[in-house]
Amino acid sequence: MRRRTAALALGTAAAMVLTGCSTMSPGESGTVTLNMVESLTNPARTDLLEELIADFEEKNPKVKVNLVSPPTEQADQKLQQMLQSGSGVDVLEVRDITVGPWSNNGWLYDMKKDLAGWKGWDALTDNAVAASEDDKGRTYFVPYGFYGLSLFHRTDLIKEAGFDKPPATWEELLEQASKIHDPSSRRYGYAFRGGANAHSNATAAIEAYVADRIDPANGYLLKDGKTIFSAPEALDAMEMYLKLFKQASPKSSVAWGYPEMVEGFSNGSTAFLLQDPEVIATVSESKSLDANQWSTAPLMAGPSGKTVQPLATAGWGVAEGSKHKAEAVKLVQFLSEGEASTRFTKGNSLVPILKAAAEDDFYRSGPWASYVTMTENPDTYLVVTQPRGVAWWTEWQQRADTDVQKMILGKLTPKELLAGWDAYWTEKWKK
Amino acid sequence: MSGTSTPTSGVTAAPSVRKEGAPPRGGTGGGRRRRDFTTRRGLVVAAFMAPAAVFVALFTYYPMIAGSQMAFRNWNLTDLTDTSWVGFKNFREVFTDPAWGTVLGNTALWVVGSIVPQLVIGFALALWLRRRFRLRGLYQALIFFPWAISGFLIGILFRWMFNSEFGVVNDLLQKAGLIDEPVAWLADPDTAMIAVLVANVWYGVTFFAIMILAALQSIPDELYEAAALDGAGKARTLFRITIPYIRVTLVLTVLLRVIWIFNFPDLIFGMTGGGPNDETHIVTTWMIKITQQGDYGKASALGLLVVAVLLVFATFFLTATRERGGGRRGAGRGGKRGVRA
Repeated sequence: MRRRTAALALGTAAAMVLTGCSTMSPGESGTVTLNMVESLTNPARTDLLEELIADFEEKNPKVKVNLVSPPTEQADQKLQQMLQSGSGVDVLEVRDITVGPWSNNGWLYDMKKDLAGWKGWDALTDNAVAASEDDKGRTYFVPYGFYGLSLFHRTDLIKEAGFDKPPATWEELLEQASKIHDPSSRRYGYAFRGGANAHSNATAAIEAYVADRIDPANGYLLKDGKTIFSAPEALDAMEMYLKLFKQASPKSSVAWGYPEMVEGFSNGSTAFLLQDPEVIATVSESKSLDANQWSTAPLMAGPSGKTVQPLATAGWGVAEGSKHKAEAVKLVQFLSEGEASTRFTKGNSLVPILKAAAEDDFYRSGPWASYVTMTENPDTYLVVTQPRGVAWWTEWQQRADTDVQKMILGKLTPKELLAGWDAYWTEKWKK
Repeated sequence: MSGTSTPTSGVTAAPSVRKEGAPPRGGTGGGRRRRDFTTRRGLVVAAFMAPAAVFVALFTYYPMIAGSQMAFRNWNLTDLTDTSWVGFKNFREVFTDPAWGTVLGNTALWVVGSIVPQLVIGFALALWLRRRFRLRGLYQALIFFPWAISGFLIGILFRWMFNSEFGVVNDLLQKAGLIDEPVAWLADPDTAMIAVLVANVWYGVTFFAIMILAALQSIPDELYEAAALDGAGKARTLFRITIPYIRVTLVLTVLLRVIWIFNFPDLIFGMTGGGPNDETHIVTTWMIKITQQGDYGKASALGLLVVAVLLVFATFFLTATRERGGGRRGAGRGGKRGVRA
């Protein structure tokens, strides 16, 4: 009896160890299995990706794709760990903020040669082609779409306040939002971003104010080589921005991040919101707002009448450690062209990568029209490469977010904030 | 310990108390008769334990050791081309960081400000739940429910509840006439700290209530009967019978909770993200922030410091409470005093 129990125990243990091993071994039927890991995960997007993958598998019966979808908050860290281990990832979501450090560590595969003869290039917008190459001409990812800012606004409140059109400049925004702002009746002018990612809207204001002198190859530099934070116009921008908080924003927006900003606008209490196009879908579902109460306008300009589109992007890339690079590149191509790309950008409310989208009714009407306006007028809405790929970007984000909070809490003046930022970037680029 | 010294009829209850009612060492039940292990039986046990042991070694101890060595290396994910040994540089960076003082102060406030109200309210709840009343089972289940929710989710829920404009807290306070205009709870570092403490107290009361209630149920009714006959009041019964009797549970629960609360960044992270102005960071949320920046070296140094602080605390706490006669002896003495009173 005892012997049987011992045998059983040993058998169980052995079985567990062997089962553990068997999941790690590759398939043997001649079919290639690609592991694909996404980063900006959400359930609806994962479903859509799975549909697209099913189409791909149908066209490529010898390739199977295993989609891994870690929760967004931890996804990039999980990806880092997988990439560091050197296996387990073939195709992955690469963001403009992760491409720098990951390529620097040799984790990403340069697809330049594989994509040399790809017919898909001709269909891509100039922005998409530009974003798919780094400063040394290497292709670590092909963008699937862009996130760009536009001004969500309440058409009814603007009219009630006595204005006939939404603000076209930051100064006009300050004026309109201040007039609408009335906390005692729970009506707020502007959904200020004071929490996570606070620096992004602050720098958007600064870039608008220095648009005339900005270096198109680097959004944080002026043409004369100094940082944009050193410009006198930057101080004007930050003083205006601080007024926007004090005169037109809810007090608690010191801590507002994405969810509070979007909630503030879509529950009908806040008149203006600067956000990405993905918010269109959320606001459309709002029960507090009718479709005729709100719209979007192009990003506000600075004193020169120009502004800078702070485009953020992400796309699909291939891991250097992948053993099936040819198949992986094929999947990247599939997702970056034609029907698959259109479905993905529409389904996720992204600014599209295909030229043909400008002719699509979906993008020419309603809240989407402002994005087409911006794309079609590159002389007013300048496309400038943002230094989001630098290795220290996350460090910068966290530092800059804290500084913006310090400024609006009165613990740092706009002048001190800008001096700090100027010194930070000058020092970083010197290395 | 003896009930025989009591001059009243409490005497009759005391002997049976000694046999049945004495709280078990460590609160885990009576000692088991030790069995002789044959080699073969030993093998069986080892075989059953092997998978768990291998998993724990592989997924707990190996990462811990591998992670520790990062603390002494230049391990920054943004540039892994140079991961050379740097001695105590990461530790120096932690100690000289301007945020370190605030982080330490916040951590102390977080632990003490959470544990004291949790203990007091948890104790009161347990005492109350011990009495029999209608729907007691349902009520117990409702009170224990928060413990089943993830800390991060609770952080997000409370973040909305404490939202100045759309949150339920301000709404209720205004309706009750306690405040005139909304308080921007999470926008001011001082009120933000109060808000996270309130959330954590709400969350952790449950655990104390569960543990203390379980311990309370092991106190034999005879002791209370004897105390009542001796004329002991409620306060005296509480301090002379109840508390000494469940001392072991209290000590262990407080110890566990201090360690858990110290290591509990989820709630603050979900609620304030360490802000505003980085002024609600505790050591562990700060560690997450540094990890997000990619500086695994500095984050590991901070992690090792946390382990060291908790080891010192646990040793000190256990030694101190043992010397003061915690556990069985204390309970026994307390029981005697209670009856004698």
